[in-house]
Amino acid sequence: MVMKKPAPLGLRRRQILVGAGTAAGALAVTRVLGLHHLGPDLPTIPGVVASSPSPTPGGVTTKDWNSPLADPAAQVAQLLRRATFGYTAAQLGDAAKDGFRKTVDRLIETPAADPKDLSGADEATKDKPLNTLALQSWWIDQMIASPTPFAERMTFFWHGHFTSDFRKVTNQTPFIYWQNRTWRSMALTNLRDMLTAVTIDPGMLRYLDLGTSTGKSPNENYSRELMELFSMGVGTFNEDDVRAGAKALAGWREPITAAMATALMDQAVQRGGRARTITPDPVKTGVFEPSRAYVGSVKFLGETRQWDTKAVLDKIAAQDSVAPFITEKVLREFVMPDPPEATVKRIADGFRKSKYDMKTLMRDVFTSPEFTQPTAYRTLIKSPTEFMVHVARALEAPQLSKAIAQAGSGMGQALFDPPEVGGWPSNASWVSSNNVLTRVNFVVASLSGLQKVPAFRDAHQVQLDGIVGAKTADLLNSAQDDSTRWLILLASPEFQLK
Amino acid sequence: MTMMPTLDRLSRRDFLRNGLVFGAGMRGLAAGYAAVPDLFARAVYSAKSAGAMNDRVLVMIQLGGGNDGLQTVLPLRDSKYRDLRPTLSKEADMALPLSNDFGLHQNLKGIKALYDAGKVAIVQGVGYPQPSFSHFDSIRVWETGDPSRRQQNGWLGKTIEKNYDSAGHPLVGCAAGTTSTPGALRDLQATLTVVNDQNAFKFQGNGDSIDKVMGALYTSTPGIYGALFDTAMSTVRDTIAQLRTSATKYTPKAQYSDNQKLVYSSKNQLAAALQLAAELIVTGTGVKILHVTLGGFDTHYTEQTRHADLMAYLDSAVSAFHQDIAAYGMADRVLVATWSEFGRRPQENASGGTDHGTAAPIMLVGDVVKGGLYGEAPNLGKLDVQNNPSFSVDFRAVYQEILQSHLAVDPRDVLSESFPRVPFVKAA
Repeated sequence: MVMKKPAPLGLRRRQILVGAGTAAGALAVTRVLGLHHLGPDLPTIPGVVASSPSPTPGGVTTKDWNSPLADPAAQVAQLLRRATFGYTAAQLGDAAKDGFRKTVDRLIETPAADPKDLSGADEATKDKPLNTLALQSWWIDQMIASPTPFAERMTFFWHGHFTSDFRKVTNQTPFIYWQNRTWRSMALTNLRDMLTAVTIDPGMLRYLDLGTSTGKSPNENYSRELMELFSMGVGTFNEDDVRAGAKALAGWREPITAAMATALMDQAVQRGGRARTITPDPVKTGVFEPSRAYVGSVKFLGETRQWDTKAVLDKIAAQDSVAPFITEKVLREFVMPDPPEATVKRIADGFRKSKYDMKTLMRDVFTSPEFTQPTAYRTLIKSPTEFMVHVARALEAPQLSKAIAQAGSGMGQALFDPPEVGGWPSNASWVSSNNVLTRVNFVVASLSGLQKVPAFRDAHQVQLDGIVGAKTADLLNSAQDDSTRWLILLASPEFQLK
Repeated sequence: MTMMPTLDRLSRRDFLRNGLVFGAGMRGLAAGYAAVPDLFARAVYSAKSAGAMNDRVLVMIQLGGGNDGLQTVLPLRDSKYRDLRPTLSKEADMALPLSNDFGLHQNLKGIKALYDAGKVAIVQGVGYPQPSFSHFDSIRVWETGDPSRRQQNGWLGKTIEKNYDSAGHPLVGCAAGTTSTPGALRDLQATLTVVNDQNAFKFQGNGDSIDKVMGALYTSTPGIYGALFDTAMSTVRDTIAQLRTSATKYTPKAQYSDNQKLVYSSKNQLAAALQLAAELIVTGTGVKILHVTLGGFDTHYTEQTRHADLMAYLDSAVSAFHQDIAAYGMADRVLVATWSEFGRRPQENASGGTDHGTAAPIMLVGDVVKGGLYGEAPNLGKLDVQNNPSFSVDFRAVYQEILQSHLAVDPRDVLSESFPRVPFVKAA
């Protein structure tokens, strides 16, 4: 970035800085803290390609961050920022010792640690509903403390991709809780199997209405979103395919749990009705009832036949659009906001060849040259959940879990409550006046609620690779205590990026 | 203040340059909370005499998910409607008649009273050619005002960019009751603010000191998002300053009830959002364009009760808003308009709901409105191959009338074509 001498802003800086008002003073402290200023007066790392200056309303241009990604340690740090929910100094140190490749292998190959059961969730009924805040905190506890944070990160990715919300699914069944556990267990399997799990997931059956769709009067909601949002993408099918798909997929209903069956029987008696027996279903998936299905041939994606759910999903998996669609979404989430077509194609080809193996895809993504190229540095914006969990991990403060759950909605990300069927927005969409303010307020509240903050030491190196803007450096240098240093670091634009 | 400069485009910087604002150098300075909004707002309104601007305000309400037009303005005597919707058509028996043929949903009682007073225009059969049935695709079409999907900027954002100097004055365009910038307001050359909750819109802790530190921290940020972050933070600080000034002078003069029971996706507090909109309008912050959202209209199942709840929520919020604005003597300046990405299929499905459809009505509310029915209702006897009716009024014709006749700006800056007028705005 352009180095500006502090003089023009002297007035304001004087109000902030105590005892570091001169450039010389700031520089001395800079050396002590080991901060890298960015700018033309410093040597650039060879091979750095600065992206074009971005226009601002005032016509000012800023240069890009100087990428540290030539350094293996910085590569590992970026991997942990993107593929997990952040890290402590010790966690980064361990991963750096292993190196990039070994860390990728460890993240991908370690089976997901199963979370402990959420008390009472399996027995949720109308009278004993799930507590949303408890459910959110339960998951955030996993994000903060799980020994397999990549599995949590992927669960979070699928939560946004195959999304459902507790408002429509309701808290009167365990379905939304089950869905989270299902997404975790399938997170790194293969896309074809996942499509089956998603289609007959009880929460999804309710969220997109497949559970009430019948062959006689099919509901198009799931058929459309299965193709548009989950697998193929908009513009790869037509309206007739939506209608045919709806017929072909009809026949599923939601399962009834033991607690739900008991509650239903009790209700019937209380209403003075005849006692009747409701048999609970032994499965945690939808139940297929042939009498509800569509009988007859329909033309779906160019083929006319009698369909069933397996045939529909096989047909979708055979479409050329699927691998690029999923690959592009993964690249946007983990690598860069606007992946070039050639990159998408190259990685998608491998994904398809692997029969949609998620481990293959994620390994190819993380070990791709694009992941560590200088232009990828700080091109992604942390979602509110990532940001807050990164704060909790950086501060080693797992007790922030409930506060994180409560703060989500004010930043646009309450877990289990996405704004729309398309899931969460990404990157630039997270930046609004409201969301910048609420992020700062979360940091302020978190720091002031802690008995003791961890020593800052070289947190700017650990968390920000030592790459900070001139203003951030000035403020860090002039801060008088570790709480203030943490406030500046965690609230900085640098920390919002990954 | 004495003389205002003649302005083609309102510029807060001009006011600053001319020394019309006390205590503020540039907006980056910690200027305290000088009465900038009031002065600016008065200047906005006084500029009307120059002919470049008027004092009108627009409030767009997004009905997210695809509002069912046939359950909003119901056909009262159409046997085809009853054939296609054996369950949902029962609502027609309870509808509030607008004419021999059409009635409003029974829960739109407040809006019906405003209609009877000549303050509601309903444009029926609104849509666009070759409609998309994807939520996201169709929302984008409505947000950009461009069915060809070439435009990136929102139509409201573009309106701000072309007509108002929003830099340093983010409340010209405001999304209320939400966390992120709605696509209709998006435009990189326009500054606008997003206020989810006005009471929480301030820095916690030692607010004034944090305000200054954050102002410094978010300056000249490098990288592709640098300008976005810096602008967002300066917008935060400007917005806090303005809300602090305005909040001291406003008490609602109507009952905004957000108690309406909503079963499905009840997160959108429309009443609270519209109350914030009213506050921003009546306290003279210079707000011109507001956007609020009520979600939950994707009624694929058990539509009758869900949609009825949503209608009641819409009705109570819009009625309270109008009453409030009127009590402050500003009802002749404010136009409220609804929009939704599409209507719904005339034939109901087995889940007691409806799937994605096409043409649907837009409601326009305010004293500036020439009340009545416009456009043509969907012809249920003439459905296309996908069993949807065709539209009678292009949604851009509604935008055009809003821009031209209400905001008095050139619609050609925003829309690529001209459309026959739908004259629902009274001549000024």
